[in-house]
Amino acid sequence: MSAHTETLTRPAIRPRAKPSLRRWTEREGVFSWLMVIPPVLFLVALVGYPFVYGIWLSLENRPVARAGEFIGIGNFVANFHDPVFWQVAQNTFVYTFAATALKMAGGLALALVMNQDFRFKNSIRAIMLLPFIVPTVLSTIAWMWILDPSFSVVNWFLIRWGIANPGPSWLGNPSLAMFSLIMVNTWRGLPFYAITLLAGLQTISPELYEAATIDGATALARFRYVTLPLLKPVIFIVTMFSVIFTFSDFQLVYVLTRGGPANATHLFATYAFDVAMGAGQFGLGASIALSMLPPLALLIAGMAWYMRGEKQ
Amino acid sequence: MANIVRAASRRDVLKLGGLTTAGAMLGAGHAHAAGKLSFMHESSFIPAYDDFLKKTLVPEYQKATGIDVDYQLVSVGSLQTRIATAAETGNGPDVTCIYFSWPFLFDEKLVDLSDIAETIGKKNGGWYDSIKEAVIVNGKWKAIPFGNVGQIMNWRTDWFAEVGVKDFPDTWDELLEAGVKLKKAGHPFGFELGHGFGDNHGWLYPLLWSYGAREVEPDGKTVAIDSDETARAIDFCRKFFLATTLEDCLGWTDVSNNKAWMSEQISCTNNAESILWFAKKQFPEIAKVTEQSLNPQGPKGRFHILGPWNHSIYNFSQNQQAAKDFLVWLMDPKQVERWYASADSYYAPFLHAYDDAPLWHVEPRNLPYRDSLKTSHLPGWPAPIGRPQSESVAKYVVVDMFAKACAGKSTKEVIADANAQLKQIFKTA
Repeated sequence: MSAHTETLTRPAIRPRAKPSLRRWTEREGVFSWLMVIPPVLFLVALVGYPFVYGIWLSLENRPVARAGEFIGIGNFVANFHDPVFWQVAQNTFVYTFAATALKMAGGLALALVMNQDFRFKNSIRAIMLLPFIVPTVLSTIAWMWILDPSFSVVNWFLIRWGIANPGPSWLGNPSLAMFSLIMVNTWRGLPFYAITLLAGLQTISPELYEAATIDGATALARFRYVTLPLLKPVIFIVTMFSVIFTFSDFQLVYVLTRGGPANATHLFATYAFDVAMGAGQFGLGASIALSMLPPLALLIAGMAWYMRGEKQ
Repeated sequence: MANIVRAASRRDVLKLGGLTTAGAMLGAGHAHAAGKLSFMHESSFIPAYDDFLKKTLVPEYQKATGIDVDYQLVSVGSLQTRIATAAETGNGPDVTCIYFSWPFLFDEKLVDLSDIAETIGKKNGGWYDSIKEAVIVNGKWKAIPFGNVGQIMNWRTDWFAEVGVKDFPDTWDELLEAGVKLKKAGHPFGFELGHGFGDNHGWLYPLLWSYGAREVEPDGKTVAIDSDETARAIDFCRKFFLATTLEDCLGWTDVSNNKAWMSEQISCTNNAESILWFAKKQFPEIAKVTEQSLNPQGPKGRFHILGPWNHSIYNFSQNQQAAKDFLVWLMDPKQVERWYASADSYYAPFLHAYDDAPLWHVEPRNLPYRDSLKTSHLPGWPAPIGRPQSESVAKYVVVDMFAKACAGKSTKEVIADANAQLKQIFKTA
């Protein structure tokens, strides 16, 4: 590139005679690599290196502030025999599936409503995004108050309407605690679904609906045979993202229950953190965190495969 | 350690692998060149305490020695991550505050301070014995003890009096008896059984010990949780929970009992001094009827949890001697007494010279915190403390054993679970 001025004054010699740097960089194969290298380096440094290092750590007995010792799959064997690990795995699956299903159903419904024409459409769409925009830790602290048995607005209504007295212990009862976390996660993740699906809905040509209506399709049939098939690619992407984020959720649990009561709400990420940081067992912690990888990879591969099947 | 929401970022764990790079970026501070020292602390619950160091002691030290001390405060709940990052990267402050049994976790990265520990002890009437289990690692002092944030019983004198109890019950059984009456009168107890990191251990370990039970034998290897003593402690705890306590306690974290106290939901809890301190500032009417007492005793004695704040020097520090000199100066009676006093008696000195110091008489209701020192131990006692104890605490083995029993599991089952977990933890020791 520094050869720019040179080009203007360059004597008219045959281009092939002197291979210049500029000419070399202008070749498509070379140029595209030059463009790609910085982001690749960035990814290698910030994603690749920690990831590979994480795998390496998981194969070591590596206490904090002490050199590691290679133990092969020893940590994974230890996890296999750890009842809490299995409970954590079960929790994570329940949490992910329940929350994702709720977000999907609710988000789709919300998107369909938002896709209608009504007054203040744009402002309402913007407001809808709030749960997603507010920093999670802050909104979760608000939920902490909502779920507090003494101050809970939910319990206030339950008691006032004579449904329950005292109100339920939202975070103290193991099943209710998981339920509450799923609800909060759904609340937070719904706008992401809704806004993405809304964007998908808006790309569907109104002509298709017109044609279907002329053919006598009911509203339900239009949804089933026009909306849903055309929305599928978006649904796939949004579900994939949501599954990944929900599966590796940390903040919600850490603020609300820290995994309690008695591990009923511990997820892979929170358990890995406690073991790695609290216990100072980096190797074991990394192995717990890495255990998220195979199920997630399988899930995503399965979904991709399903989508491909649909396309053909 | 109440009032704490540990809001550490998820990245802290996911980027474990990137600690080396992350350390440089996070930069809790760098080991300074000569003429400067960096000193890392977690923000205190008592703002006056941090202010006193920053605004009074640091300038005094600068005047006396020309050394500028950079007092770096990290947010509440993030200290362990910061210490770990510094230890892993070899890049961080010269001196750091350090809690609990952490000197055992970071042992290899900390300077031996045995010489100055002796000097400081001599100048201040000698060290409490109980703190030694938290700072002496393989025969070497790896931290200079500062003060204990104890956990004792907080109770409402007015409601206890309503059911005819004037003095705090001396035994767990008597407390149960009072609790039954109080719950009937609409004033339940609130003892944390969830995954906080202070108010749960604060009463459950002492309860376990007071029944003569323990996780591991003093040999540090033999897991001993499967015993009749443990079973009795669990049976008591279940009965106590069902008859006196709010169900919600199973899901509590460390902020919960403070909230419940200030909203007058509970009549008794186990907490640090923060409840009374905060009530005096914000809810004076509640403060008037808030009293603090030692934990009740069980068949095998009375116990408390040790919650020490200590100071260590990193071995990668370029200024180890200067850092030692600073700690000696800081712990000199001329300085340290005023620093202790700036926090009233929130930090109970581990030095006998302050046993009857004026700071204890600012708020006589805090005196039990001093008295609790003699019977205080770290989780894992009576085994010598090491790394496995941190793992047991981080996995909430003892807390969950009690919590599961309170939620309805059989004593046998919960002991078997804890036994399996402990065997796994101590095998890797």
